Amino acid sequence: MLSILGIIVVVAPLLLTAVLGFCMLLRIPLRERVISQLTATAVVSGLLASLTILAVMLISGSRHVAVSTGDWVRLPETAAAHPGEATAPNIHHSTPGSPAAAHFHFTIKFVFDRLSVPFVVMTFVLCGVISAFASRYLHRDEGFSRFFLFFSFFLTGMILSSAAGTIETLFFGWELVGLSSALLVAFFQDRRGPVQNGLRVWSIYRVADAAFLLAALTLHHLSGSGDFSGLAGQGAWPAGSALVSSGPALFVGLLLLFAAAGKSALIPFSGWLPRAMEGPTPSSAVFYGALSVHLGAFLLLRMGPLLEQSRLLQALVVVLGVSTCIFAAMAARVQSDIKSSLAFASLIQVSLIVTEIGLGLRYIPLIHIIGHACFRTLQLVRAPSLLKDYNAMINALGDHHAATAAKVGIAAPAREVRLYRFAFDRGNLDPLLDAYLVNPIAAAFLWSDRMERRWTTWLAGSSEPRSDTAGENQHNQPDNRHGTQHTTLTPKQL
Amino acid sequence: MPDIDEEVEREVRELAALLPQQGPITSFAFLNPLQGMEQSSFFEVLRQVPEIYGCEPWLSETRYRNKLQRGRIRESDLREILHEECGSAAQDSIAGLAPLLELRLTRLRDLITPETSHELHWMIAELDSLRRFHPAVSATSRAALLESAHSWMQHSHASGPAPATDLGWEEATLGWMWAIIQQNRPVNTDAAAPTANAGSIRVRELLLDATGQDPDELVTEVLVAFCAAWLDQGYAQWSLPDQEDGFLSAFCGLFRRPIAGARRWLRELPMALEPLRCGRITPAASILSSLKAFGVADADRRAWLRQTLLSLRGWAGMIWQTESRPDRVFRASPPGTLLQFLAIRLLLDEYATMEVIRSHFGRQMTIQQATAKLLPGYQQSRQRNRAAHEAFVLFQLAQIHGWGPTVLSRLTPEDWLALHREIRGFDGLERRRLFHLAFERRLLHHALNVVHIRASRPQIKPTLPKFQIITCIDAREESFRRHLEEACPEIETFGNAGFFCVPMYYRGAAEASWTALCPVVVTPKNWIVEDVVYALEDSHRNRAAARRIIGRASQGINSGSRSSVSGALVTAVLGPLATIPLLGRILFPRVAARVNRTARRIVAPPAITRLRLERAEGTAAGPHDDGIGFTLSEMVNLGERSLRDIGLVNDFANIVLILGHGSVCLNNPHESAYHCGACSGNPGGANARALAAMLNDRRVRRQLEARGISIPEETWFIGGLHNTATEEITFFDLELLPSSHVAHLRSLRSILSSVLERNAHERCRRFESASLELTPADALQHVQERAEDLAQTRPEYGNCTNAMCFVGRRSRIRGLFLDRRSFLMSYDPALDSADSSILARILAAVIPVCEGINLLYTLSAIDNHGWGSGTKLPHNVTSLLGVMDGAASDLRPGLPWQGVDIHEPVRLLFLIETTPSAMLQIMERNPSIANICRNGWAQLAVLDPQTSAIQRFANGSFQPWQPDSDSLPEAHTSFDWYHGHREHLPFASIIPRSPAESASKAAATGPVCTETVVHGVSQPC
Repeated sequence: MLSILGIIVVVAPLLLTAVLGFCMLLRIPLRERVISQLTATAVVSGLLASLTILAVMLISGSRHVAVSTGDWVRLPETAAAHPGEATAPNIHHSTPGSPAAAHFHFTIKFVFDRLSVPFVVMTFVLCGVISAFASRYLHRDEGFSRFFLFFSFFLTGMILSSAAGTIETLFFGWELVGLSSALLVAFFQDRRGPVQNGLRVWSIYRVADAAFLLAALTLHHLSGSGDFSGLAGQGAWPAGSALVSSGPALFVGLLLLFAAAGKSALIPFSGWLPRAMEGPTPSSAVFYGALSVHLGAFLLLRMGPLLEQSRLLQALVVVLGVSTCIFAAMAARVQSDIKSSLAFASLIQVSLIVTEIGLGLRYIPLIHIIGHACFRTLQLVRAPSLLKDYNAMINALGDHHAATAAKVGIAAPAREVRLYRFAFDRGNLDPLLDAYLVNPIAAAFLWSDRMERRWTTWLAGSSEPRSDTAGENQHNQPDNRHGTQHTTLTPKQL
Repeated sequence: MPDIDEEVEREVRELAALLPQQGPITSFAFLNPLQGMEQSSFFEVLRQVPEIYGCEPWLSETRYRNKLQRGRIRESDLREILHEECGSAAQDSIAGLAPLLELRLTRLRDLITPETSHELHWMIAELDSLRRFHPAVSATSRAALLESAHSWMQHSHASGPAPATDLGWEEATLGWMWAIIQQNRPVNTDAAAPTANAGSIRVRELLLDATGQDPDELVTEVLVAFCAAWLDQGYAQWSLPDQEDGFLSAFCGLFRRPIAGARRWLRELPMALEPLRCGRITPAASILSSLKAFGVADADRRAWLRQTLLSLRGWAGMIWQTESRPDRVFRASPPGTLLQFLAIRLLLDEYATMEVIRSHFGRQMTIQQATAKLLPGYQQSRQRNRAAHEAFVLFQLAQIHGWGPTVLSRLTPEDWLALHREIRGFDGLERRRLFHLAFERRLLHHALNVVHIRASRPQIKPTLPKFQIITCIDAREESFRRHLEEACPEIETFGNAGFFCVPMYYRGAAEASWTALCPVVVTPKNWIVEDVVYALEDSHRNRAAARRIIGRASQGINSGSRSSVSGALVTAVLGPLATIPLLGRILFPRVAARVNRTARRIVAPPAITRLRLERAEGTAAGPHDDGIGFTLSEMVNLGERSLRDIGLVNDFANIVLILGHGSVCLNNPHESAYHCGACSGNPGGANARALAAMLNDRRVRRQLEARGISIPEETWFIGGLHNTATEEITFFDLELLPSSHVAHLRSLRSILSSVLERNAHERCRRFESASLELTPADALQHVQERAEDLAQTRPEYGNCTNAMCFVGRRSRIRGLFLDRRSFLMSYDPALDSADSSILARILAAVIPVCEGINLLYTLSAIDNHGWGSGTKLPHNVTSLLGVMDGAASDLRPGLPWQGVDIHEPVRLLFLIETTPSAMLQIMERNPSIANICRNGWAQLAVLDPQTSAIQRFANGSFQPWQPDSDSLPEAHTSFDWYHGHREHLPFASIIPRSPAESASKAAATGPVCTETVVHGVSQPC
């Protein structure tokens, strides 16, 4: 029975995505009411199923329920002998290079344990509330159905990654969350700012995803499957210890930490979080106040046993957490608009949660995540009430000064300006990232492109450059818009 | 040179008038966004706004054409307007082909004009424009075209075989025509024209056009954050260092050190800031030196400064507001801030522009070199597009009018020139303007017809009014008053500006600061506080203490949640509890609201309070204990004025209810925009309450009697507040009500409760999320739910859909269904002095206020992104005084899309019951009214006080207006008329079911009041 419930939990959001997606694809316009009812149905059925799982687990004492959809790809030891068994041929290319893998599983598997069930329940509750909110908030907006489609992507992604039992499943959900995030940041497509910021979020997510993918590959390489239980031993979360030795654990752990830092906006990626406040208020609330921003911390929690394999890794996690916390605490203090200020406030808590994980705690960060997510969602959703709240506060306290006691003179005058400037510039993280990461990478790609052209030209045996390089030669021609498209790949746009 | 410094300073001050005049969003001011240009003609200004503001002046041609197809715009109106606009040239033949008027009409009606070259290419490629005749080509034109093509073929102008099929002929005809038109494409006769204004083109436009990179974006990133910190009224926990030294010092202090890791272009800034910081050069001199770097000639300086100032106009406007109206904010900007802002802005512009130039054109090029290099290309690209567009327009025109290849080939160069000139002269802006005129005219004619017919019928006025109710002139109260009159014919209603001529600073019993309750343009001279009665003082003190504790706790949680360690405690411990309000507020808004209200009531100040209204004669007014209140003579003056203004000087009913209005909603930064506009975006209950208390004062009444207004003993004034969102009415000072009046009030309240339901029901027809089948009781519940819903972006529609303003006796238009689209100001011409002094003082407030409201709605609806504040969805409250879009953007004044999405953008029609000569005199004496009426910022007509003749004001004089219809739709009740409809409805006459009954109650003949008027002592208000 539990596995049926488990399937409902996963399938409900998937179905929602499918229905909304196909309707949009086939250009069947759905009425606002239909869309919000579909969403409500999916969320409520998922929520009920997950609550039942929780109840059954509490009553029966079972702490680990796995729902597997079987192996989608299984490669026995002699991989080449049975190619017919592979149902997803696109996985092939990743295996030939790893002869050490005894056999390869690609399994879609879900695990309901003390980590995932609270996460799933929280996701359903918050997404449900926010979708109810959005169905009224976005009334008559031309992007109504688009919003709900992206939102269903997000819901699916969150559920998949929360309940994931293998690293592939987690990755799949992780990607959906990233995609929907970027699309919702760029929700107002007709303005430049949202699109640029959406692109920035997307790029950072991609970098983080690349690290994640590498980590997943390495794990496969080490243990032959991406199964968390294989990785963490048979004990239910948070017990169990990783079967990987500390050297590889450090390597994998570093990659995962990198991925988590991207997703949770830890240093040096923090710059995207306030920029992501471009979408409609409800999406900002649930993404950057509540769920999406905690996904990095969730990954670290899930990989807890792996972290424990390496002291150095744990220390790094703590250092990253603490330094992000200090940075965010400073930046939060100078923000004069509510959404940026709440973004940094969120970041403070997320980095504290990461620190707690680094210190080897498990339940405390979990409770912290849940509490923080709920609190911040409420705060963000109520963000437009700020003026009224302040007015009420001023009236209750009797004067303006008391209610808005901004601290003047935070340090000695000279240092004060410097501290303020650091916070004002948001630590210059974005320019630094541009200068030391984006620009070199962009330059490398452009260089490779040039080399490739040269190479192909040489291979073709002609000394004439191919016609499409002409555009590039005209880089500096001001009226050639297409030509300059290459050069406008500036940090600002990434 | 100090002279030139002063000149720049003066210029900046003058240009500041072009900035948005919206102060902090918490006291929303409904002002014309183009107020600074009201001394010029409306149409001239709107012609310029695309260039100056980059905003649309009219709706798009497609939208107007949709309205034409749906019949909202009539072709006959278009024709009529073309006649007026073309004057004697209307029938002049262009190139001997067709009369001017016909050509223009065709272009308005049938032609699709591509706006961009992409659109043009798309049309040519996708719409088969070069292969099939235009869909609007008539059979005769088609025949003419084909015939012309045949003869063209015969005269063997064309090579190749003759087409075999009809379609083949069509294609061939079009091919030949297109070729001829292409050959005769206009030579750039006016190539010099665009260079004339080249001086005002910012280099940014050139760079953006050429490189796709926007230097403004670089500047904005820095400047938005800095302006937000500068204007912050206390949200950020760290305030800007050196703020007290002024904008310039604070900026220089922050940016004077090069920071490793900062963006490249910012690293060079410190050097440039040094002279400004040490005061070696003044901000004005810095502005001049930046302009020099951009190569701006002296003649272009003003235009250039204007464009620079307007490029971040939200923030610049707010800086100007805090500088010029320091009384309206907590932290004001010192004088000269805007100038300093501009100096910094230009400096940043300079460096950002150099950065873009450097990254695209190399290190050596200066800004001026880049300008010289890019300007020709920039202008040329526009030139080329224009020629192609004109050819395409001509091509379509030729088809519709049946000018085949032979006709076209016979045209002389002069003919071509005339054609091209005509096509160019009648451009998109001009076409949209004409569409707009026709759009307005339809409504104008309808409104004037309806009022004309109604005014020719008997006045309706209860001879012995049972109740009199005075509301705000607000368009929202139109339906409320109509339903009151429908529900109880013995009720008489009046409209007055919602501060009821009682301007004051007010502080409620539970409030900490003063609020100005009067129109934005007025500065109050009196301070009024609300005190809890002495008997309840202990309870008041305890509750205030309780509120303080709660306030401190919520402040702790709020700031704690934004910090680290306490934040961890707050979020982890209280976090799960937050689900309770979260779920409650969103999923069960009504229950949550009820719980919240109950909880609040426990700590709210005790219910019985008094306004401290009276000050000893001879003391000075001020916000201190002795200065609170009005002197007796002030009260008498105010009371007299507010009664005389609305013509309520006799026939007082037993109960006179004075209703201010306000609106309560949740989670809405624009809440203030729903309050009373005449109270600077605050609820006007206190004004109504103050006026009622004054008029109940025996001493005031005695003195009023001496001035000719005798209020009978039995009359009792009650102040109240109409909540226009939840349709609830709060009455003030009921504990003072004489027991003789209790029964009266009870019956009034029962009428009111049904009227509020009906009013809610009428409002609900506009809300798409409310079913059309609601009962009035359900409707009341629905509107109350909206106000309590955290997710509701349209708690109400405010004055949306406003279209006219009637100033005159209610009895003359009573019974008209005006669809909540009319402001209603009561004024009795019969009681006015010979020189219309009452009307003059009424209009001095009413015309600018209503025009401001109307134009803010209208322009926000025309280009919501440009004039309005865009959609509410991504709004982000900043610095406690405004909203931005998303993470960082310009400050967004104006109305949000959710507030104007059903508004019909038309200029307000003032219909005033007076004579043309009186109106002309008033215009003469009041320049602001003259500007608005003469320059066409609003439409004006007068209704004769004795007859139903209407005269319309056009081109500087009043012209008799001929009704073009004599039918006035009728219904028995408002409900019958509007039920089942969501769209704008025609005005109608509501005639109650039993004619015998209503006839007896209507005064049968002529103007009712013929009493001689005592010359009123007017008090400036």
